[in-house]
Amino acid sequence: MTTIGKYEFPDELYYDTEHGWARVEGNLVTVGMTQFAQDLAGEIVYVEMPRVGRQVARGEPFMSMESGKWVGRVKSPVSGKLVEANGELEWESTTVNQDPYGAGWLAKIEIAGPEAVEGLLKANSPGFAAFIAEQRSKYNK
Amino acid sequence: MQLFHLKHVPWLLSQLIYHAQARLGLEGINILAPSEPYFCIGYHQDLLQEVDVAFCQEHGIPIFRREVGGGAVYLDGNQLFYQLILHKDNPLAQGDKATLYQRFLQPVADAYGDLGVPARYRPINDIVTAEGRKISGNGAATIGDCLVLVGNLIADFDYETMSRVLRVPDEKYRDKVFKSMRENLTTLRRETGHLPAWDEMAFPLIRRFEQVLGPLDTAELPQVVYEQVEILKPQFLSEEWLYKKGRQRPGREVKIASGVNVVQRLHKAPGGLLRATMETDENRLHSVSLSGDFFCYPEDAISQLEAALEGATLEQVQGIVADFYARGGVETPGVTAEDWLRVLLG
Repeated sequence: MTTIGKYEFPDELYYDTEHGWARVEGNLVTVGMTQFAQDLAGEIVYVEMPRVGRQVARGEPFMSMESGKWVGRVKSPVSGKLVEANGELEWESTTVNQDPYGAGWLAKIEIAGPEAVEGLLKANSPGFAAFIAEQRSKYNK
Repeated sequence: MQLFHLKHVPWLLSQLIYHAQARLGLEGINILAPSEPYFCIGYHQDLLQEVDVAFCQEHGIPIFRREVGGGAVYLDGNQLFYQLILHKDNPLAQGDKATLYQRFLQPVADAYGDLGVPARYRPINDIVTAEGRKISGNGAATIGDCLVLVGNLIADFDYETMSRVLRVPDEKYRDKVFKSMRENLTTLRRETGHLPAWDEMAFPLIRRFEQVLGPLDTAELPQVVYEQVEILKPQFLSEEWLYKKGRQRPGREVKIASGVNVVQRLHKAPGGLLRATMETDENRLHSVSLSGDFFCYPEDAISQLEAALEGATLEQVQGIVADFYARGGVETPGVTAEDWLRVLLG
């Protein structure tokens, strides 16, 4: 586990620069939002389920959530086919706040191959540390 | 930054303009109002759950689903809208949501002060009078690469139509919504006894926004925005968009102001259906009405329970229900204290 300030980032995950994470298991990638992202959002009151079966593209919004009358789009960290959404969040949206790397996962995406995560960052890399440092400064966190 | 001071525009433009600007990445602030009334629901709401669509159709009230969060609201020309579109890289757009709301709602609160109604920003996204009544509705979204914040100065408000258009389980509930709105949501007209003219509202607001955004240059809305509006129209007017499945809630809940909700919950107990309709104000229950198809002996005992719950905190509810049964002499076959807690506390 990499800890930066009060935020934790599991070492086994990949990260993008939109505060998303990706857990790779073969060709199946579970995606979610980081502890830092849920802290920025505040209490999440609703998570809209994305349509299963659709293609998603890295960096493109594929689902949305709402906190404090604020609608935010979630961008996918990988390209592929969305094969499962975490339906539990429709009823218990604050799970994203409470357990962002566990029960608060958002969706599972089937990727074509390992190249789908190329360019994503690891928590213990200098590039990720620099990114989070810049974001903490930007958001005063 | 550019100011698009558009005054009254056709109702559909009053929403589509900012959706178009955000998609185009064009920063600016709009000051406008709809020429015709309409009903507007939040991005994640479920139309059929929130709105009496048949009533709207019969009375020619258009319905719009915005990409901004928050709840269903009746909008008309007596509300001055501000719509701020900032690129995500703009230094003014930096900060978490609470910071951004405070940054951009403080000038609105100050403008109310200029209009003779001292008001303050109340986290996370409310503006309230000194007495704590809501006097502005606000919402936000990230659309494309832009942050969008929209809200209003409320000169006057049609409480009756608002409560009529909402979908409600029964008239008793509608009456509670109406009374709660009258109590918790106020207007410039109610606070000052005077319906302000457009310029009277617009110019203090513009001045206050300039203190945060810097000098505002009044400009014509670029043609490209109108072209984008035309592109967006089919999508936003489609039934697929309007009837998009939204947030489902068991029972019914209408948010009146921050912390104030009119709630109805249902619970099927072995002895019959229980229904609780009440106003929840932060941590307290008010105007609790209990009904259903259960048996209660003596019949008037339920009204005693209702009276005992008036003003109770959520923590006190369990004790009050326990006392109700502990006193003896009350029988509700197939309905236990636990069942009441399900409808009262959710």
